[in-house]
Amino acid sequence: MILEPLPPRILSVRRIPHADPALLLAYGADPARHRSLGLVTCDQDDPTYVALDEATKNANVDVVFAKSFYAGAGHGSGPLSGEIMGVLAAADPDEIDAGLKALLRCLESDACFYAADEAKKTAVFPHVISSLGHYLSTAAGLKPGDSMAYLVAPPMEATVGFDMALKAADVRAAKIFPPPTETNFSAAWLTGSLEACEAAAVAFCEAVVRVAANPKGDVWGS
Amino acid sequence: MARTRELVAELRARLGGAAPLPPPTPLPRVPEPPVRVFPKRHEGSRYARETAAHTTALLGIGQVGTRYATDVALQFQAELAVAHGAVATELPEDWAAQNGLLGLRSRITHHREFLLRPDLGRRLDDLSLARLKMEAKTGVDVQPILADGLSAIACMQSGLELLAAFTRACEARGLTVGTPVCARYARVWLEDEIGQTVKARVAAILLGERPGLGTGDGLSAYLVYEPAVGKTDGDRNMMSNIHARGTPPAVAGDRLAVLARAMVDQKRSGVSLELGHLVAELGDAASRHPRAPQVRERLVEVPT
Repeated sequence: MILEPLPPRILSVRRIPHADPALLLAYGADPARHRSLGLVTCDQDDPTYVALDEATKNANVDVVFAKSFYAGAGHGSGPLSGEIMGVLAAADPDEIDAGLKALLRCLESDACFYAADEAKKTAVFPHVISSLGHYLSTAAGLKPGDSMAYLVAPPMEATVGFDMALKAADVRAAKIFPPPTETNFSAAWLTGSLEACEAAAVAFCEAVVRVAANPKGDVWGS
Repeated sequence: MARTRELVAELRARLGGAAPLPPPTPLPRVPEPPVRVFPKRHEGSRYARETAAHTTALLGIGQVGTRYATDVALQFQAELAVAHGAVATELPEDWAAQNGLLGLRSRITHHREFLLRPDLGRRLDDLSLARLKMEAKTGVDVQPILADGLSAIACMQSGLELLAAFTRACEARGLTVGTPVCARYARVWLEDEIGQTVKARVAAILLGERPGLGTGDGLSAYLVYEPAVGKTDGDRNMMSNIHARGTPPAVAGDRLAVLARAMVDQKRSGVSLELGHLVAELGDAASRHPRAPQVRERLVEVPT
């Protein structure tokens, strides 16, 4: 059955209450403002980016480090590596706790990939963020509070899907990440009104499902 | 449920998926806030209860847990609003002329400046000074001055009544009364310059007093003998709380005339003025007895 959620697995969550300044600097934090770190690894990178942004809306934390690992979760360097590591930094451990709590809540019940085919080989991420936090809004060149459709799929499905999404609603592309990326997926950040973002995400998701079901359909006939 | 999940579920139904999606991981339960009911505790001290009956100040109000009771808190906010409203009101520019008074103003140019610069509110502007010299009677016993002070509402509500009562009472005691003037943006000490300019023996300024909780309509009166710029508060005698729930304007007019008469007779005012023999005439103002019980005006009703 298509479009079932593929729940992300949180592989590790740790807190460093009083991090060494050298470590803070290395991971992009500012020792003058930050003292505590919150670390998370997960087997799905894009839901984690969304969850890190969610943390900035719930606590006084900054996302100082968030990077996807090469070739994705299937080729992790260890059982806890997954596909991404994210680092929150804050002035004190309580802020980190509040940020991590929001991050985990988002990963458990909101952001996730979906299966775009029966065999669950194709994953699609048609996520709508109604109100951006300061992490993703800065990364996308938007304002905190803007709406954004965060769309991810494998290269072929995604490319057709982006076109459908951009034509389905009054949205504009804030950023498009063509392949190859670290995980060899393609992604796009589209922005517009919340309704437009929702319509774009649904159109994207539908296009991905149709391409996955019929890879050569448009050129060779179905 | 997260919005994206709803959208995907709808799309799935549209693409032919009949079986419902598995439910998402339930959110962790948020613990209910602890419910504790604090009974209202009435004031336990008899002394506080009896004191409270003699004042509208917030005494003997009891407590609920560590806080005020709801009705007390709401009443406080309502009374504070009355006071704020009174401070924010301005006396219309033509109010003096409409009521047959000689209109004057201090050096203040706008209301905010009036609140921030008491020093400018104590001196007349040049135009008013010239007008006062031209139009006012000089060499009188008493120069009455009506003014807005910190409550233009009080001035407009009961100012004229107090002015009339005071004027009548002064004349009945054989004092000559000057041209009634009305000053805008006035502070108490403005009476010094006005009285000095008209060469009055006593200057009396009747003005809206600084509003208190629930009292936006109170007038005060300040009298000074031989007014001159530079007189201090030690040279003045005053009477406050001139409103329906305090001293009514008709009664206050009489008592102020008694004060003015005493100043003219004793050729002094302020702390050195002897009032011991005038207790009967001055009533509460000079008596040492506790005030009569006061009833708090309810602005907010809370069902119990």
